[in-house]
Amino acid sequence: MNAEVATAVETPVVGGDGRGAPAAEKQAALRVSGSSATFQPRIVGFLCNWCSYAGADLAGTSRTPYAATVRVIRVMCSARIDPTFVLKALAEGADGVLICGCHPGDCHYSEGNYKTMRRYPLLKRMLADFGIEEERVRLEWVSASEGQHFADVVDDMTRRIRALGPSKVKIALATDRAER
Amino acid sequence: MEQHRIGVYVCECGTNIAKVVDCAAVVRAAEVLPGVAVATSYKYMCSTPGQEMIAADIQEKGLDRVVVASCSPRMHEPTFRRTIRNAGLNPYYLQMANIREQCSWVHGAGAEATQKAIDLVHAAVNRVGLHEPLESRTVAMCSNTLVLGGGIAGLTASLELADAGYQVYLVEKADHLGGNLARVDLTAPYLDSAQDLLRERIQRVANHPRIETFLGTELRSLEGYVGNFTAAVALAGGDGGSGAGNGSAAQSGDGGGPGRWALEVGSVIVAIGYKEFDASRITHFGYGKLPNVITSFEFEKMVREGRIQTAEGGQPQYAAIVHCVGSRSQEFHAYCSRVCCMTALKYAHELKSAVPGCYISDVYIDMHAFGKGCEDFYRRSSEVKTLFLMYGKNEYPVIRKADPADDCGLLIEVNEQLSREQIEIPADLVILMVGMEAREDSGEVAHMVGISQDKDGWFIESHPKLDPVATTTEGVFIAGTCAAPKDIPDSVAQARAAAGRILARIAKGSIEVDAVYAEIDEEACSGCRICNELCPYVAIEFDAEAKRSRVISALCKACGACVAACPSGAIRARHFTDEQIFAEIEGVLA
Repeated sequence: MNAEVATAVETPVVGGDGRGAPAAEKQAALRVSGSSATFQPRIVGFLCNWCSYAGADLAGTSRTPYAATVRVIRVMCSARIDPTFVLKALAEGADGVLICGCHPGDCHYSEGNYKTMRRYPLLKRMLADFGIEEERVRLEWVSASEGQHFADVVDDMTRRIRALGPSKVKIALATDRAER
Repeated sequence: MEQHRIGVYVCECGTNIAKVVDCAAVVRAAEVLPGVAVATSYKYMCSTPGQEMIAADIQEKGLDRVVVASCSPRMHEPTFRRTIRNAGLNPYYLQMANIREQCSWVHGAGAEATQKAIDLVHAAVNRVGLHEPLESRTVAMCSNTLVLGGGIAGLTASLELADAGYQVYLVEKADHLGGNLARVDLTAPYLDSAQDLLRERIQRVANHPRIETFLGTELRSLEGYVGNFTAAVALAGGDGGSGAGNGSAAQSGDGGGPGRWALEVGSVIVAIGYKEFDASRITHFGYGKLPNVITSFEFEKMVREGRIQTAEGGQPQYAAIVHCVGSRSQEFHAYCSRVCCMTALKYAHELKSAVPGCYISDVYIDMHAFGKGCEDFYRRSSEVKTLFLMYGKNEYPVIRKADPADDCGLLIEVNEQLSREQIEIPADLVILMVGMEAREDSGEVAHMVGISQDKDGWFIESHPKLDPVATTTEGVFIAGTCAAPKDIPDSVAQARAAAGRILARIAKGSIEVDAVYAEIDEEACSGCRICNELCPYVAIEFDAEAKRSRVISALCKACGACVAACPSGAIRARHFTDEQIFAEIEGVLA
């Protein structure tokens, strides 16, 4: 699965040494010749401080490479993620929004992630009504020990959003405003 | 909008960041952002000259906000908060951009990584302008400590704290103290008695006026916050029974009752230890099916009882010791259990002294003799005619019954790595060096005290190198093998370290807690009480007269669940306000 995802998004897999920054030649392979036109999605990631942000840090300390598409915003708990954060990110031009929290049962605040879990389907339903593609917003549980999982999620999401193409929300909003 | 004077400091982290991210380009991009007065890069921002640079700019160039683009805030946010506080700024006027763990260490060199770093810096600059001056709160520090686990780590920590004059509640799930060490005869590499180490400590704990021991007891819940916890403990497996504590000072009061105690503590040390790997999971060894295939702990029992013998009652003519049972394997545990190699050598010594004619084979993968005195112990063991045979990782030897014609009970088939030969080792007794694994109840304990576990179930420390006994929950510490396999000296060192950290806080009398919490604008509050139900800490009270909800800031842990849920938008998460997060979103997408 990992290898498959990694190939799909043309991200180098950790090689023999496994340490240090991904070797330049591997990275060169990432940018396939003449692929400057390859759409590089911009994903905003909202990560809880205790599990998911630590998990993303672990991907770093373990030098687990993944696509440079996600920009992380740290919140204390996934339950802090107001649906307006997601809408704001889409309105500002994000091609995708990733929400990460502790696994159910593992929340640093006992049960914050259960609230996230309940709010998420409502948000998804609203986004569907707006005509925003299902795969642009994603909720994933990433624990502090799951650096690899975080990398896999980012790579997989990058691949799926790349297939969808750029989000049209920002342009649509601008057009809408211009027409009014 | 108010114009700020923001300083942006891009750390090269030696070459850790600079090798991948074009730091000069990040500086150029930051320079032109609104409000930025100074932007520069430096080899190590966290070094003394790096911190002095920030402090000097604050004082000489009149900076009022600081952005440091470097490692994770989980690493150095406290460092840089101190730096700017010492230079006269409110510590919360800092924002960090994580361009190492979440950028240079996961992306290859080039424009994409540099762009990501620029975006993250942009977000930080946007956000920091909206930061408010927050004052840390000071709360009283209760000097009592709860120690979970009565093994060598828990005993040591308890004595350290109690000897300093402070009350300790030592809670042990089993009906006796000593933990796994109580099952051991001699210790490696000096072959001194484990029971001697323990006996004195257990006696002192039992008689110590400042230690109250609860046997057969477990933690049920932990409420409160650093300096001010309430721990509910109860007799394991329901109530009743006789395994109660040796005192009753804590028994009275709320939450008390038969077999239940409510303990007021300021700190918690989790030292619940490990459990041994179940050797029957590796079918190659026939453990549980073949007689005379035993685990290391079963051998310890034999040694303590003074009779090393086979199931048939005879002395073993051939004995074999198999290393890495459950450890260093892709299938079971990838980690090394750290103590088994030296314990195996100790068994060779014990066998030699009890059964001088015994022929001993030591079947290992690699010999890990890293501790003080261990390499020398390995050399001495090699000289007492122990045959060392190497097997391949993930290529387990197979143990089977010998033929009646053989002069031994068992045969071990090994693909020997040094000779590259398939050989059969004779054995009458096979000792399996079972590794350590996290206890079954470790998840439950982690959940109750609010700490995390790694993929193997070991508790995660605040920082593996710089903060090895603290956890992500302030006031909760870990010591000993519950954090990862380790030997007695390391467990004792951690126990003393945890006790030392707690004593330092007790000495101060009070403790500073984060100034981050939620607050309700009573003008905007509609009194709907949705937040009351949501708060996991019961930190929101309802004023029935005013029909308004109110946050009890000391109880609030700043998760922000109520903030996102408030239909009136009346609740603000200090330091994580909607405006601050919106500014970050605009920054990363600019």
